[in-house]
Amino acid sequence: MTPLLLSILTLLALYGVYIAAVTARQEARPADFLDGAQALPGWAAMFLLPALVATGLGLQTQLAMVTRFGLQASHLAVGFVLAAMAALLLWNRMWYVARVAGLSTPGEALGQFYGSVTLRIVMLGLAVLFALPFSANLLSSAAHLLEGATDGLLPRAAGVWLLAISLAIPAIIGGWRATIMTLAMQAVLLALLFPGSTILAEMLASAPGFPAAPIPVQDGVLWDRLPGVIQYSAGIGKEMPATGIFTTVALSSSVIALLGIVFSPATLYLGQTASPGRAVGLSTVWLAAGLLTGIFVLGAPLLATRMADGPIALAIQFYAFEPLTGVGLIVMLLVGALLTVSFFVTGGAILVTRELVIRYLFPDLSEQEQRFSARVAIGFAFFLLAFMASFLPLVSAVLGSVALPFAVQLLPAFLGLTFLRWISRGAVIAGMTLGMLIVFFTEPPGLILFEGLFVNLPWGRWPLTIHSAAWGLAINLAVVLLASAATLRAPDSLQRNRLHDALFQATGVAVGGRGLFWALMLLWSFLAYGPGAVLGNTFFSHPIFTSGEATLGIPSLWVWQILFWLLGVVLVWWMAFRVGFGRTSEDAIRTIELEHGKRVRPDWLAAGLDRINGRAR
Amino acid sequence: MKPYDRLDRHALVMAIWTPSAFVAATLLHRGLSSGGAWWIFSGFAVIIAAFVAHIIANAVLGKGFTTGERALGIVAFAASVLALLLAVLVGPPGLGARIFLPVGLGLISLVVAVVAYLVIAFGARGAFEQFDVVRDNNLRPASRLPHRGGRR
Repeated sequence: MTPLLLSILTLLALYGVYIAAVTARQEARPADFLDGAQALPGWAAMFLLPALVATGLGLQTQLAMVTRFGLQASHLAVGFVLAAMAALLLWNRMWYVARVAGLSTPGEALGQFYGSVTLRIVMLGLAVLFALPFSANLLSSAAHLLEGATDGLLPRAAGVWLLAISLAIPAIIGGWRATIMTLAMQAVLLALLFPGSTILAEMLASAPGFPAAPIPVQDGVLWDRLPGVIQYSAGIGKEMPATGIFTTVALSSSVIALLGIVFSPATLYLGQTASPGRAVGLSTVWLAAGLLTGIFVLGAPLLATRMADGPIALAIQFYAFEPLTGVGLIVMLLVGALLTVSFFVTGGAILVTRELVIRYLFPDLSEQEQRFSARVAIGFAFFLLAFMASFLPLVSAVLGSVALPFAVQLLPAFLGLTFLRWISRGAVIAGMTLGMLIVFFTEPPGLILFEGLFVNLPWGRWPLTIHSAAWGLAINLAVVLLASAATLRAPDSLQRNRLHDALFQATGVAVGGRGLFWALMLLWSFLAYGPGAVLGNTFFSHPIFTSGEATLGIPSLWVWQILFWLLGVVLVWWMAFRVGFGRTSEDAIRTIELEHGKRVRPDWLAAGLDRINGRAR
Repeated sequence: MKPYDRLDRHALVMAIWTPSAFVAATLLHRGLSSGGAWWIFSGFAVIIAAFVAHIIANAVLGKGFTTGERALGIVAFAASVLALLLAVLVGPPGLGARIFLPVGLGLISLVVAVVAYLVIAFGARGAFEQFDVVRDNNLRPASRLPHRGGRR
């Protein structure tokens, strides 16, 4: 398999170089390297968004979880619908924020809107967190898979560097636009390979698999039902619920954590730099909520059952049947990881260049110099990524675990920026700080640090089977609500109101006054992945109003998942095309300039730079 | 026309054809090596699906096939026909008999798909005129006058 696999990977890398070279040749302005002229093709964003949402779970990780826990883990895929909804609302408003107020990066948008350098730094930190430990962990696991697939010919460390170089070169040559267009092709490849591999696995199987046979999980784990609403366990690492960890509160809180991908700086930047049109609506409704969720809800249990001995064993079986199918399976799993790595590292490096280098360190750079600094930043970021992935895989895994839940703590800040004008700066910062602290101490970095330095904590990861993102967000929202109530007449409310008025004029769409929609949305959320989802365990196999049993031939929970996936698509469609969030247009935009965010360096940074300059002289 | 329109369309076409080509190659290779006609038909079905996606992309972007795309399509088709003929004539014994019908039908289905596209896009007369170079050989400006037939 090795020569064919390496040939296909080389071709994929050459594809990236080709697109990058063509893009670089046709570049109209050097500054377009950083933002794609704020007119990335709609189709590219359309294809890429669902792939990014899927990577919030991790393709290989999710398949492994379904193999281990059965349908209770597969239920997480229903949450893609909520991620699609969040992306729809946020991308729409962030796109308008970029055009109305000229706030063209997520950090700039939050920083200017709230008049806060802290929020800029937090966004910058998040961009780095996603670009380095989060991506390094993915790259390390991809290289590990490659090592297994090549039978040890390409060791993990060598694989890390080769993959990092193959991703870095196109990004350095072509910048943001070329990266996005290359990744969009990989997203299409994933969309073809996942169902194709699932169908082929079923065709080649010698014994019946799911749903005719149970998913082979460990003894005691409930493979075809959710293990209750909540389990009073101290958390992973301290105590593992025997029936499985995916209670309904674990599912709903994990779905909230999944939103971290949508709130990540690079994903928002993608939305801000896309062209106007209907791409966001088409992407979220039909590709993310429709196709992606369908592929995972329907296909993941089947493929995971066949992958019980690991992906390489299945790939070898495929290879014996037809060499390209075996390679295709490995390529699918590799691309699932590499797509995310390339996106977050390139996006993170560009955001650091724009937010730190161009804005504060060297504000007088010409466009050519800006492009050069971005290229250096991308190269440096990929070097650090490869360094971390090859030499610090454990540190990457530990630090990367907080990326998604940290990003979720920005939910109140983005709600304030896009919809709820009464959320104030102080409230956002206080809530976010507390939320992040709670996340930190319910995830491995905090637990390891605290228990290493002081005493053992009574809780582990995800105490009470509730994801750290939800623990943090609960406290975060409580603080934001209380603090905002006390600061309704804060002096910066004038600027916030100006932006919200301009946004409403530009979009003509308000979320208020849609009682039926929000009532249905809450009901759907409660039943789809909230506490009501536990009804799905037996709803279709033991109907509640009769004493008889229905013989479906498939688990009741699977039917429940399919039903709420389809209902979810209707809700996202409603929001996108009936309410109007699915399209963006420049027609009614009237630009404004927020005044409380003048381009001034923070005092501490100015003092530091002066000191360095003084020494240099 | 915006500065990146051509590039964006080119990348979209590449994004459609590259994954489709991989899947089609997998199916066709399986079909040709093991002799399964349905694998070959599936491979051609993927090619036709990619062609339809290309047409949809053209329609959405308000563009047509470029000269390079047409040339590449014709060359690829001619090479396929030639390869089939060579396989039948000089290939291993039995290969031609095994693959001739499914591959031949697949190639014919490609021609049918292209003709159907031309007829839908340009109408029967317009589709014919796309290839009617003989009728278009009068370079004099007067040949464009309506009473002279309004040629070209």
